[in-house]
Amino acid sequence: MLLIPCPHCGLRDEGEFTYGGPARTLPALDQDTQVWRDAFFAGQKPPGPMTELWYHTSGCESWIEVTRDTATHDILNSNTPQSKVDTP
Amino acid sequence: MTRLPQGGLIDRTQTLHFTFDGEQMSGHPGDTVASALLANGRHLVARSIKYHRPRGIVSAGLEEPSALLTVTDATGSTPNLKAPEITLRDGLQITSQNNWPALDRDAGALLALGGKTISAGFYYKTFKWPRDAWHKTYSKIIRRAAGHGQVDPSTNPALYDKRHRKCDVLVIGSGPTGLSAAITAAQAGATVVLVEQDSDLGGSLLQSADTIDEMPAREWAKDAADALRTLSNVIVMPRTLAFGQYDHGLVQAVETPQSGSASTSILWKIRAQRVILAAGAIERPVVFPSNDRPGIMLANAVRTYIRRFAVAPGRRAVVAVADETERRDTMAALQEAGIDVVAALQPGDKITKTTGRLHVSGISWRGANGKRHSARCDLICMSAGWMPTAHLFAQKGVRLSFASETQSLRPPQSDGPMRPTGGARGVLTTADCLADGKTTAHQVLAELEMHKHLNLNQPEATPAPAQGFQTGPGKAFVDLQNDVTRSDVALAQREGYCDIELTKRYTTLGMGTDQGKTSWTNGVLEIADITGANPETIGHTTYRPPYSPVSIGALIGAEVGNEMVPTRRTPFHDGFERLGCVFQTSGDWLYSRYFPTAGETMMQAIKRECLATRNSLGCVDMSTLGKIDVQGPDALEFLSRLYCNAFAKIQPGRLRYALMLREDGYVFDDGTIARLAENHYLVTATTANSGSVWRHMQKMAQVDWPELDVTLTSVSDHWASLAIAGPNARKLLTALAPDFDHSSEAFPFASVREGLLGGDLPVRVFSVSFSGELSFEINTPAGYADALLTRVMDLGAEWDITPYGLETLDVLRIEKGHLSIGTEIDGRRTPADLNLGGMVARKKSFVGGALLNRPALQQTDREQLVGLQPEDGETSIPYAAHLSQSELDSKGQAPLCGHLTAAIESPILGHSIALGFLENGQERMGETLWAHSPIAGKSVRVRVTSACAYDPKGERLHD
Repeated sequence: MLLIPCPHCGLRDEGEFTYGGPARTLPALDQDTQVWRDAFFAGQKPPGPMTELWYHTSGCESWIEVTRDTATHDILNSNTPQSKVDTP
Repeated sequence: MTRLPQGGLIDRTQTLHFTFDGEQMSGHPGDTVASALLANGRHLVARSIKYHRPRGIVSAGLEEPSALLTVTDATGSTPNLKAPEITLRDGLQITSQNNWPALDRDAGALLALGGKTISAGFYYKTFKWPRDAWHKTYSKIIRRAAGHGQVDPSTNPALYDKRHRKCDVLVIGSGPTGLSAAITAAQAGATVVLVEQDSDLGGSLLQSADTIDEMPAREWAKDAADALRTLSNVIVMPRTLAFGQYDHGLVQAVETPQSGSASTSILWKIRAQRVILAAGAIERPVVFPSNDRPGIMLANAVRTYIRRFAVAPGRRAVVAVADETERRDTMAALQEAGIDVVAALQPGDKITKTTGRLHVSGISWRGANGKRHSARCDLICMSAGWMPTAHLFAQKGVRLSFASETQSLRPPQSDGPMRPTGGARGVLTTADCLADGKTTAHQVLAELEMHKHLNLNQPEATPAPAQGFQTGPGKAFVDLQNDVTRSDVALAQREGYCDIELTKRYTTLGMGTDQGKTSWTNGVLEIADITGANPETIGHTTYRPPYSPVSIGALIGAEVGNEMVPTRRTPFHDGFERLGCVFQTSGDWLYSRYFPTAGETMMQAIKRECLATRNSLGCVDMSTLGKIDVQGPDALEFLSRLYCNAFAKIQPGRLRYALMLREDGYVFDDGTIARLAENHYLVTATTANSGSVWRHMQKMAQVDWPELDVTLTSVSDHWASLAIAGPNARKLLTALAPDFDHSSEAFPFASVREGLLGGDLPVRVFSVSFSGELSFEINTPAGYADALLTRVMDLGAEWDITPYGLETLDVLRIEKGHLSIGTEIDGRRTPADLNLGGMVARKKSFVGGALLNRPALQQTDREQLVGLQPEDGETSIPYAAHLSQSELDSKGQAPLCGHLTAAIESPILGHSIALGFLENGQERMGETLWAHSPIAGKSVRVRVTSACAYDPKGERLHD
């Protein structure tokens, strides 16, 4: 059970989060099938640091980017996926 | 009785009664079942698994390999508990295992006479032919004979719970190392949790003759424990077994509280910044011929029974302890108990045999000079050395390495959260353990910036005895629990099962409830001896949680039956209860199923509800749909990218049916998009997908398209939604007196209006239909649900309004060929498969569009949604049927071309109808097929039709 640093809520238990897969840069929606196929299905996941998306389901309901070493489970970094500043 | 007249940590003022195999026995508070059995003179407590040899109590801790017992109390019986781990309680019924008809005359022991034939691999070699016999004959007999105790199949009434705790420093174990570490950490102000598996704190100090600070060790331990208990930053948890280490400083432990029964326990999840593993060490048995007889015990266990429990485990003892200091201490303990030490073997002596039928009665050995000796005895105290209890540390995948100086597997230095300390890293003397606990605590305090860094010296691991005992030929057990002998280990090496993982599985060395706690190092040393390999290269098998068996009940906690997930009730729940609703579980929801009148069956109720809705008026709860409020200047662009159909032309006040694809092009969900205002939309998601659609939309908004100015709000629980459906629906709407123009011209199908009903009830009304009838979904803030339901039922009485539930909802939608998540939208369908290919926009880009264009998803002969009707117009189509062009052959098989997703009796059509997926289905209208249902044992001729069986032109939606 990991401890995940949510940039909004602090260090929280993995049970509060939903896994969202590796953070990937998807092609634009108007790109053709071949480009999408390569981007969507052909990803490699060697053990080691990987940036992933996690959703803080039982918390702030934000998607966050977490860099996790998949071999050791060390969390190396976490941040919001956007630079947009929320205005209350 | 062999209870000593004085001493021990037992409360002699109270007597506890228990039975062993029906025999009345007694003990005192402070006893374990093991110490109480020994106090009653009982050594023989079990029969071994393979040879049914008599076995006794070997140890005084969780490493116990032999004394497995079944314990029965008011909550039922629990098998395979280790005698030393069970705290004695009044009224326990203890029974021995693995014997018939009785422990002292076990018929299975005859097997022991043929013992040579049941060597490692015996089953593999013997029962491999004839080919069918394993399943038909052998396995039935062997499985009956295999295993230890019997599981109690009755419901367990005991209570379990799960709890969480958090601290700076978790200390596992309360011996000299753990107490010293906990005190050091507590004094620095750290929050400390100290867990101890035993009921008493002190670990090895409880049976130590050492002095600390000029106090007897046991008194020092009591003082230290009392001092820790008074500190507000320390939580002391006795009777709590830390059984697993997980990521990021998480340790799971199971607490067996003092009051209540043994099977009532609490699972603790303890999250610590640092974990000091002070679990001590386990004594290594000596391997010699017939080393398994009752009365042959680990030396430390003998000292424990004498000093802690005031029990004399024998009268005439032979001491076979390799380490000189420990030998002297053991002899001292024996003398304290008045036990004669008839012989003390010297390292290098070769033990050649023991004698005795149900208890050891003598031992023979040969001295280093070759001289033969023998002695009559009823107790042998043995020790070859010590093995660090680093199991929890190794569970995270770190390899332990065999160190020749300690003759044991030791953990490497670590900078992770868990630090093996004291006995757990091979440091054995009391003074060194105290120092090591302090040193490690200071180290982690410095890391946590709670104390300045001190340069304390870490004590060295205590070296193993220079010389051990030799063994003569004969059945010498390496693993007592699994009856694995030296010759079994040797056989595995000869037959090529040399890798340690293979040796384990071939011989069962290190398996079972003790997982080789006493046997593993001896096994490694045997292999090294046989093969000449360096024991450092042999390694170990994988350590996994739990360290010692944990009951499944503790892992489940209170999450059983209705407590597994919270039950969700819709805002209409109470109102529906008054209407006599029968509810059913649907996902997380307790949803209305049907509304029977007096004496009506479910089928009769469904038929009545369907006909009432088709012919006049019905109402149904739609509150469980996901509802997402989408606002902002880019709301339209956001939704346009998200859904595959075109709806740019949608006007405020109107709504559209919409289809959402996954990124891979398959259909994800369907729902409606209502435009409430210029930049304000309300979209619905199906009940089953309401959570995942919300997450998906959040992901798109937050991660993929942060440039879009859009705000999402989940309003699923804010609105109660009641659909009124049927030819008289608009008349009821009129009677409800909305404050907006709701004529068929002003408020046509696929529209939305906001306003008040009767001048005071705030609503949003959506003219959408899942039933295929003229229908309005009336949404009101959840708190007004009862008011809405009351008005609808009161005013609808004029048209005999009939509430309906999930069953009728399903019949009505199947008659219309409308889709349901999980049955038709099953994650493998394209829009065209669902006859919705025409909805897919050509002129815009949307999620899933690119991958939907993959050739395999565009083939025209894919399985497509069709309707099915009985060819003869009356036979009932069985549920869960497969479609085929041919009859079943003599083997009950037929080539398939599709399957059914739903089959019902349609009250309005008067016959059975079904939906299903059929290869190239759209081109096969009118074709006749077989619907085979092996479950119903039925095959029916069916005709392929359009998926929409009722009102295919949709005329009933309008008035």
